[in-house]
Amino acid sequence: MFINVVNAKKQYGTGEAAVYALDNVNFSLDKGKICVILGPSGSGKSTLLNMLGGLDSLDSGYIEVDGRKITGLSKKALTEYRKKSIGFVFQFYNLIPDLTVEENVQVVEETAQNPLSIDEILKALDIEKYRYRFPKELSGGQQQRVAIARAMVKNPDLLLCDELTGALDTKSSRMVLKFIEQLNREYKTTILIITHNEAIAELADTVVRIKDGKIASVVENAKKSTADEIKL
Amino acid sequence: MKLNKRYLRSIRANLPFYISASVLTMVTLLMFYLFYIAGVGINRYGDEFFSKYNVEDAAFSTFAEIPDEDIARLEKDYGLTLEKEHFAGVEEENFRVRVFSPNKKIDLYELQSGREPISDDEIIISAGYAEENNVQIGDKYLIHGRQYSVAGTFLRPDYLYMVENLSDDYKNVTTFFLAYMTPEEFENQFGSGSINNKVVYSEAADEAGFRREINEKYFMSDYLSADNNMRITFVHEQADMFVMSSWFILVTFPLLTVALVCILLGRRIRAEQKLIGTLSAMGYEKKKLMRHYSVYAVIPGICGGVLTSVAALLLAKPFGSLGLADYEPMKPRFTLPVWVAVAGVVIPTLIYYIAAMLRVRKLLKEDTVKLLAGQIGNNHRSRRVLSHKKASVKSKFALRQLIGNPGRSFVIFLGIFLGAMIVAFAFSFIDSVKAVGEQAHDEFGSFKYEYILNFLKNGAPEDGEAVLVLPYEDKKSRRFSLMGLDSDASLWNLTTVDGQPADIERGFYISTLCEAIYDIHKGDDFTFRNIATLEEYTVKIDGVIKNGYQSYLISSRKNAADLSGLEKDAYNAVLADRALDYSSEEITEIISDTTYKTQMENMMTAMGALISALMIIGMIVCIAALYAMIDTILSENSHNISMLKVLGLENGRINSMIISSNHILLIPGVVLGIASAYAVMAWYCKEFVEVEHIMIPATLYPKSILYTAIITVLSYVISLLLLRRKVDKMDMIEALKDDRE
Repeated sequence: MFINVVNAKKQYGTGEAAVYALDNVNFSLDKGKICVILGPSGSGKSTLLNMLGGLDSLDSGYIEVDGRKITGLSKKALTEYRKKSIGFVFQFYNLIPDLTVEENVQVVEETAQNPLSIDEILKALDIEKYRYRFPKELSGGQQQRVAIARAMVKNPDLLLCDELTGALDTKSSRMVLKFIEQLNREYKTTILIITHNEAIAELADTVVRIKDGKIASVVENAKKSTADEIKL
Repeated sequence: MKLNKRYLRSIRANLPFYISASVLTMVTLLMFYLFYIAGVGINRYGDEFFSKYNVEDAAFSTFAEIPDEDIARLEKDYGLTLEKEHFAGVEEENFRVRVFSPNKKIDLYELQSGREPISDDEIIISAGYAEENNVQIGDKYLIHGRQYSVAGTFLRPDYLYMVENLSDDYKNVTTFFLAYMTPEEFENQFGSGSINNKVVYSEAADEAGFRREINEKYFMSDYLSADNNMRITFVHEQADMFVMSSWFILVTFPLLTVALVCILLGRRIRAEQKLIGTLSAMGYEKKKLMRHYSVYAVIPGICGGVLTSVAALLLAKPFGSLGLADYEPMKPRFTLPVWVAVAGVVIPTLIYYIAAMLRVRKLLKEDTVKLLAGQIGNNHRSRRVLSHKKASVKSKFALRQLIGNPGRSFVIFLGIFLGAMIVAFAFSFIDSVKAVGEQAHDEFGSFKYEYILNFLKNGAPEDGEAVLVLPYEDKKSRRFSLMGLDSDASLWNLTTVDGQPADIERGFYISTLCEAIYDIHKGDDFTFRNIATLEEYTVKIDGVIKNGYQSYLISSRKNAADLSGLEKDAYNAVLADRALDYSSEEITEIISDTTYKTQMENMMTAMGALISALMIIGMIVCIAALYAMIDTILSENSHNISMLKVLGLENGRINSMIISSNHILLIPGVVLGIASAYAVMAWYCKEFVEVEHIMIPATLYPKSILYTAIITVLSYVISLLLLRRKVDKMDMIEALKDDRE
């Protein structure tokens, strides 16, 4: 099992204002799979992603990634974990505005242990021609591809995508999803996508539905669709 | 307005900024306050003391004693008060004392401790010496063969700055003091002693007529107006220097600091553009928004101003006492004038308020959509720098941060500059005073001793070289020495500033100090007058000799004697390259090659605390300014920092990426700070010429430059260390949620 979440609990606020973002969540995922986590806003899916990425800590329960328990790790160890194993892609890209496309990717490449070739990644994501442009000079879809390139250049074990098509139009969304498929196929990267877009679930090997901080269902897709096939 | 509920929360969230802005405002304003309070306090004390104890307008001596019965007539005829002062100089093994018989009309003393001498074996002594040497009431002193018990201490108005001889440049309270004994005991010990006449002129007094009659009837040997008596003038001159320094400080440091805080405030407000855009979109009126944000700006002004007033009240006395280090232990009232306290609070507050209003107004003129997207101020044209070049991302990012944010870079530069400037100025002060001690005697010449004789002699001395030294004054009654030397004199510096030997047989030369004070140059005519006869003379100046410590007109002994109506081979001073055997009765003063050095060392000891305070202030300014700005940089870069943390970059690497660009600013900041400090010192020294009658060479030794650089860099590092944990504490999730660029 590559990801193993056991009895994960996380509460925000206290007293009457207390909200369980994760309420006894259990689920697991095999290596190299694509998992889509579906749920409405406030269901706890982003919290789960943050926990898996080592950005936040659980109140109780634990999480294992690739056989290593990440719950309870020190800040330094979590930084090392993110550096080595995790790639992040966010809805609003979070690119560094003062750096070009190439430099945004280089920031990560410079610190990675076994980085992929920047040229190869940029070519794969079809943004090679924009390498000297700044984020503001790109469309949303292009920026998201840069964000994916930045996440992938370190050749992560786990790629965490938070509403990666949330800010994109249909055409751009489809293109980004095609690249996600391609990365999974070529680099065998385990990919976890959180979204409230039901259509994206058709790409997944596993679909986890989450509601009010609880796992509502875990379904293995018998027949995956491709990005070209889904109706966005 | 509900919006006002944000105040406390927002202040708490930006506490480091408010603290550092308040500290900056306080520290720089405090410098002004303290110098101002010290200057005004000393001036006021001087005025009151001089008036209460009837300070002299002039002191003079005559070859023939003025009969007591003539005094009342002279007073009536010329509209003045005249008194003969009886005194005696005594040299004992460990000290020299000038003993007085108490005056009744002029230069009266004020008892500082103990009581008046009642019995004949009691004395009272000058308070500065008593304090310096920890003399207690009841201590015994052997003077002129008799033991006296110290009954008390005193101050007198013509000795508030205790120079032993008027040619000295610095006080002596370690081996020299004044003393009073009962009039009967004085007479027993010294008879009538030496006589110095003191005069106070009324507004209608005929000073010139009086001086002429005194010279005609009693033969004036010396006349010293209070304006030329540094024991008196130093009180107001040093106090005026404090006041002048305070205004100089006000128009530099607080002004720069206020500008710096305004820039920081502007950036803080710009960082709130999304909220301002939102509130504007919601229909909040422009005025309300401007008022709301201006209240934030008022905080550092009020806090800084109030803290300054409180600190000034608390520190006025100890700081003022630092300013009193050179004087006799005067006890001025150091008070903070209400208008200064109010202005200190109101002015910076008002400036910050206006700056914030203008910033919000400017933002509200922008497109609301851009405000909502947080796009105002993000047009960095410099982003393209090195975009096609091969260099590390860290270097590219650093360079773009540096030149893409000129306002931010300027504030950091300003913080470094101000800190380096204040610290370098303090070092420069020390170095310049040291330079006087080390260089002064070289400008005098190669003699080891200069003996000033009590009387005129003729011919040539058995040992050494003869000098004729006579006091003269210009039309404004400013004194200088007319010096006459033999043309073969080798012990006095006779090389002009052009590098040529001075031809004193044929011409007249002035010292560089004389040139600076009287604004007379080579080729000019110099008109001056005899202090006794008031007869005027005019000579052409043939050159200038480098000597910034003595104000003199120099020529041959014959020329000087001719002008003064003396025998052509007259002399009253001797230069020697070794100690000569003169008795104490024969000489009034000995100047040695170490005199200046010792005086300057004493000066530095007295001013050490003041200089240290200045250095600490420099460090605080540097740390507070940099702390505020780097804190702002980290806040402005919170999205980038969060993202870099998410990407797995270590805090150290992030810190170095975001902040390292500013390291380069240390170089221009320190270099220009040091250069400016040197320029300010040069200006200060120039002003010093009029006040102290000494040309202090503005000096900054390489060692001091190095120390300034180290202290400034240390301040920079301290500000970084104080912010070290900020990156660590930055919440990755919260910051990323916000990014909608």
